[in-house]
Amino acid sequence: MRPTLLGVLRTAYVVGAALTTATLLPRLGVPQQWVPDLVLVGVVATAVLRGPVHGALAGLLAGWVVELVPPVGSPLGLMPLVGMLAGFVAGLFRRSSSRSWLRAPAALVCAAVVVLAGRVASAVLAEGGVEPAVDASRLASTVVLGAVLLPALLVVDRALVRRRLG
Amino acid sequence: MPSTARRRLLVVLASLTVALLLADLAGWGVADGVRRAGAVVLGPVQRALSGAQPDALTALERENVRLRTQLADERRRAADLGRLDELLGSTTTAGRTLVPARVVASDLSPLGGRTVTLDVGSRDGVRADSTVVSAEGLVGRVVSVAPWTSDVQVLGSAGSVVAVRVGPAGTLGTVRTPVAGDVESRPRGSLSLSTIAPGTAVVGDVVRTLGSVDEAPYAAGVVVGTVTAVDPDHGQLTRGATVRPATDPDAIDVVAVIVPTARSTPRSTTGATR
Repeated sequence: MRPTLLGVLRTAYVVGAALTTATLLPRLGVPQQWVPDLVLVGVVATAVLRGPVHGALAGLLAGWVVELVPPVGSPLGLMPLVGMLAGFVAGLFRRSSSRSWLRAPAALVCAAVVVLAGRVASAVLAEGGVEPAVDASRLASTVVLGAVLLPALLVVDRALVRRRLG
Repeated sequence: MPSTARRRLLVVLASLTVALLLADLAGWGVADGVRRAGAVVLGPVQRALSGAQPDALTALERENVRLRTQLADERRRAADLGRLDELLGSTTTAGRTLVPARVVASDLSPLGGRTVTLDVGSRDGVRADSTVVSAEGLVGRVVSVAPWTSDVQVLGSAGSVVAVRVGPAGTLGTVRTPVAGDVESRPRGSLSLSTIAPGTAVVGDVVRTLGSVDEAPYAAGVVVGTVTAVDPDHGQLTRGATVRPATDPDAIDVVAVIVPTARSTPRSTTGATR
């Protein structure tokens, strides 16, 4: 299997987004509750174009990247599983016939809710703490940024596929 | 990639992830290896991204952290020395052979009471059944000794009974933990005193240990606590009382173990003078 330009770009996006979210944005003074989940936006962009199985696979691999960027998550492997579920849910929004611009943001909202639910569930299981205000504002910032970023990612993806580079 | 192959890959990767998650939850080392690999590969990138370079500001910040740590350490040492001075200067320890010690672990028994571990052991001269005191008074007795540590049953543990003298008259009695079957209820953390001879303790009386042969398990004259309440008179022969321990069992830090010194010479006799 030969790596395609789209595959390389997608990997670069996920790694870059994970590092930006973990290191660059907090370093630039962005408050923790307003740091958007850039990786999730990338996963949703792939999932809505290719369906649930591809979305789940992308979510799982992207989740591993997020998990391995220090500070490494604990317990190890939880984030990839949540990402897989989020990618799967976002993939359910694929409709080859419809081109409604609302589909991708709706998929992003659902995927972000899945990630939030995963975080809450793990906090409950591990008797950790949940800060609803922080989680809600992270979800809001992800959705707002996703509304801008998603169409651009979708356009790039479609263009590369059309030129047989994906 | 065909759809079935993708599905198969997803199942394999998800299974691996679940296995790793379980391994991490079970505390196996493989998860730590993955964690270290992630930090080794991505850590330098993060350092570069965050602009961490050894400039003057970073050096000063490091120096600041180092000095603050050193200051906190010195303060803690000074506080320890102060407590030790207090302990050595108190009447409890005057004229006795002591091994200063510090509490390094503490365990709360489900049956009530507390056991603490001291950082001294048989190599420091501590023997089982030695008395442990603090500057305020009696802490407990050593129940088991290891070469470098020893476990102490703190006063107020289930089953610990201390023979005492009460007040200026020195009425004999015993102090023990209040048990569920007691006639009188006592506040939490206090001890129950019952006198042997017909006599009544008075509120404010100081309770001291009676002492044992060769000062084991309890040396004589160590303050156990103060009488805070006397049980009402129901016509019984002796009246019990509530004793507040001199030492707070939750805040024991620097203590001393009294090393029993057995007498080797006979006591000299003195003739009565008229």
